[in-house]
Amino acid sequence: MNPQEQRLRRARLMTAAWTGFVLLVIYLPVLCSALASLGKGRYFLFPIRGWSVDWWARTLDSIEIGMLLRTSLALAAAVTVVAVAAGFFGALAFARYDWSGRRLYQKIVLLPIFFPQPVLGLALLLWFNAVGMEMSWRTAIVAHLVWIVPVVTLVIAIKVYGFDPALEEAAFDLGASRLQVLREVTLPILWPGIWSGALFAFLLSWGNFPLSLYTTGADSTVPEWLYAKMIAGYTPMVPTLGTMSTIAAASALGIGALAAMLMKRRRAA
Amino acid sequence: MRDSVVMHEDRPDTAPGAGPVLELAGVRKTFDGFVAVERIDLQVAEGEFFTIVGPSGSGKTTLLRMLAGMEHPTEGDIIVRGRSVRHLPPNKRPTCLVFQSLALFPHRTVGENIEFPLKMRKVPPADRRVRALELMRMVRLPEGYYAKNVTKCSGGERQRVALARALAYDPEILLFDEPLSAIDYKLRKTLEKELKDLHKETGKTFIYITHSLEEAMVMSDRIGVMRGGRLVQVGTPEDIYTRPTDRFVCEFMGEVNVLPVVAADGAYVCAGLTGRFTPPPGGPQPPKGFIVVRPEFLHFVEDDDTTTENVIVGTIYNEYSLGSRMQYQVRVGDKTFIVEQSRRHACSGAPDRPVRIGWHARDAIFVAE
Repeated sequence: MNPQEQRLRRARLMTAAWTGFVLLVIYLPVLCSALASLGKGRYFLFPIRGWSVDWWARTLDSIEIGMLLRTSLALAAAVTVVAVAAGFFGALAFARYDWSGRRLYQKIVLLPIFFPQPVLGLALLLWFNAVGMEMSWRTAIVAHLVWIVPVVTLVIAIKVYGFDPALEEAAFDLGASRLQVLREVTLPILWPGIWSGALFAFLLSWGNFPLSLYTTGADSTVPEWLYAKMIAGYTPMVPTLGTMSTIAAASALGIGALAAMLMKRRRAA
Repeated sequence: MRDSVVMHEDRPDTAPGAGPVLELAGVRKTFDGFVAVERIDLQVAEGEFFTIVGPSGSGKTTLLRMLAGMEHPTEGDIIVRGRSVRHLPPNKRPTCLVFQSLALFPHRTVGENIEFPLKMRKVPPADRRVRALELMRMVRLPEGYYAKNVTKCSGGERQRVALARALAYDPEILLFDEPLSAIDYKLRKTLEKELKDLHKETGKTFIYITHSLEEAMVMSDRIGVMRGGRLVQVGTPEDIYTRPTDRFVCEFMGEVNVLPVVAADGAYVCAGLTGRFTPPPGGPQPPKGFIVVRPEFLHFVEDDDTTTENVIVGTIYNEYSLGSRMQYQVRVGDKTFIVEQSRRHACSGAPDRPVRIGWHARDAIFVAE
């Protein structure tokens, strides 16, 4: 083996080692919480003396947890639907069409992302109170949207920037109606962007704590419950639910990637 | 059936040459006060291959987009077969545009791209397929390409797909926005000929825009030269080549020798050149103008030549081989003349030696200022 090959091999080895290290640092806390959920004891102590899936069974059986999951799921689903619809048209206005207020709009739409979420949550709470709305997970939909719609708009806008407007013109010229252009050309081509926007919307809503804290009223979402239990009344159901949530999110991403891959393969065929 | 929808069944049975298929009447287009197209009147006959030539910014693309319905004229009317289409959107017009970028749908196969206009018209899938395969044969695409992804096709194949897709719409008039500009020279020559063949085969009216007069010459029945939003000359390739009406049209055709001249005692003189020049016979002879001589009409004048009316003495500055012909740059004072001759008439003179070049008065073109 000549020296150059040796050097290349060493470089590859170092890259692999570094990548492994970074992954370990990132995922170690997640792994720890998974381990904590599998302990027998009431408290989280290393080394774990006895293993059991008892807490998983109890978490799955818990009516309270079931309600939390339903609330979080309903919230995230509603946010996803509205955010994708608003983000799609927002992205077209952002990146596709030239109109007089566009530059201002491009700046203003980003502002909520830079606004500290706890302050935004509090401001929304005061505002909801002022207009006399009753707080529940439904008001949290509005709160989440304030922060999530700009993110989804940006995610879809990136795809819109790469979209040749001549394609829409060509479709229109070839006899398609406005609706047909949208259905046959615009939507299918922007589909990957819409899909990632939806994924972002769901996950950002699912994991959101600061906005939910102020705006869910008597309802509670998963992150809120986790926080409350960690402050007072720790139970191993906390790491269990945390781990479940992580697994669910990872599967959602995995399924999304798989769906995208299958679609690509079908198109390539 | 709505009368605005394009369907070939409701077309009147007009014989070719029976009235213009397209008529522009005082068409003008401004964008925020900027005049892109200035009052164009034009008639295009049925089955004609009409090319609009002009440099970038001459308004040719705007004009074409108005014909397609993607822009609407500020003033004037666009009439297709006696019916105004001015207010019709692109999907209701009997025209179809082949884009410069081709605008093929990247998420569709070759077959799906070609079938697109038929699908929009709700033609059943089986009939669509038959028509698509027929069109693919017409544009010389192998049948196996039907299920191929368009993004995997080569440049020439993509041209053919775009063409077949436009033909599937079955327009009265096909519009082309420089579709060959991004294609390399050799393939472009092939595609130009194929397009011309297809024009003959389909009998449809083609309106083509390009910035290359050479391309226009090869394909067109008639050419319109555009400059600054105006049509400066309309005529057959022969007309444009031999009887250009102004200096711009001459120069647009490529390398020509232009002499700014003023009248003096029945002949013309040019500042910086010794000698008197005879204008081409016939035609008006205004006091000022330009004598235009094509490089192939400039030749080396032998000492015993007495028939060449116009002679200049200069030195050969450089020479280029153009294959079958030779091109020379001849310096006369601060002016450079371009002489093109076949190898048989090549100059024997060495560089930097004085040579006599000249042209026959009948070969020159005189254009007024």
